[in-house]
Amino acid sequence: MELAVSIGSRLGSDHRLTELANTAASNIDNTLREVRNAAAQKQVSAPGLAGLHGALQTATLPVSPTEEIHDPAPVVTSFPSLAGLDSEHWLHAFVDELLAQARASGGITFESTERLLQQRKDEFLRDFLTARRMYRAYPRLFPEIGDEPPQAISP
Amino acid sequence: MNFDPRGFSELTRKATEMMSDTADVPSVLRSRLGDQHELTRAADQMVASVEILVRELRSFDTSAEPVVTDNYQDQ
Repeated sequence: MELAVSIGSRLGSDHRLTELANTAASNIDNTLREVRNAAAQKQVSAPGLAGLHGALQTATLPVSPTEEIHDPAPVVTSFPSLAGLDSEHWLHAFVDELLAQARASGGITFESTERLLQQRKDEFLRDFLTARRMYRAYPRLFPEIGDEPPQAISP
Repeated sequence: MNFDPRGFSELTRKATEMMSDTADVPSVLRSRLGDQHELTRAADQMVASVEILVRELRSFDTSAEPVVTDNYQDQ
């Protein structure tokens, strides 16, 4: 991290502030690397982590249903799968929640569907803002995104 | 040791900005993965170390700006 280097160059490598800066830089690098690894390996089942990583990609890449199928996934007959969307696409979680809600309440209303969709949108925007700050602060940790031209936000 | 105090104020400002930028990472991970997940703990550790750095930098550089946090609040 440049900040740690700048502090070290001013105060020397043995100064307490330099050590604190190096520790902070190391912790930031480790956290981001672990998040990236976990998202890439898809070992974490929580949708939010994929959202963090996915939001970064969404910030630079348009939604391209026919090009984002990476997994030789088993045949699934859900609507998002039939539409050719990646398994981490937000529509999967949305449809699952909508169906669960319908089973629980005995029906689907426009109001509940709109609420659910708004929740998905809010969640995406939160992840996107966090991911964008992380990317802007540490672009070298996201080399696969750095070469892509910027695109509009399209969850 | 001699150093440029103006340069140090800038470093303090950048560190404060970095603290704001990373402040909500633990809460995002906690809400998705839970308190005990290793990524949540790593993020907590990251934020704590950044906060300590900023606090020490501000002590060192008395001309630094006031700390401003930028936590995203859930609606």
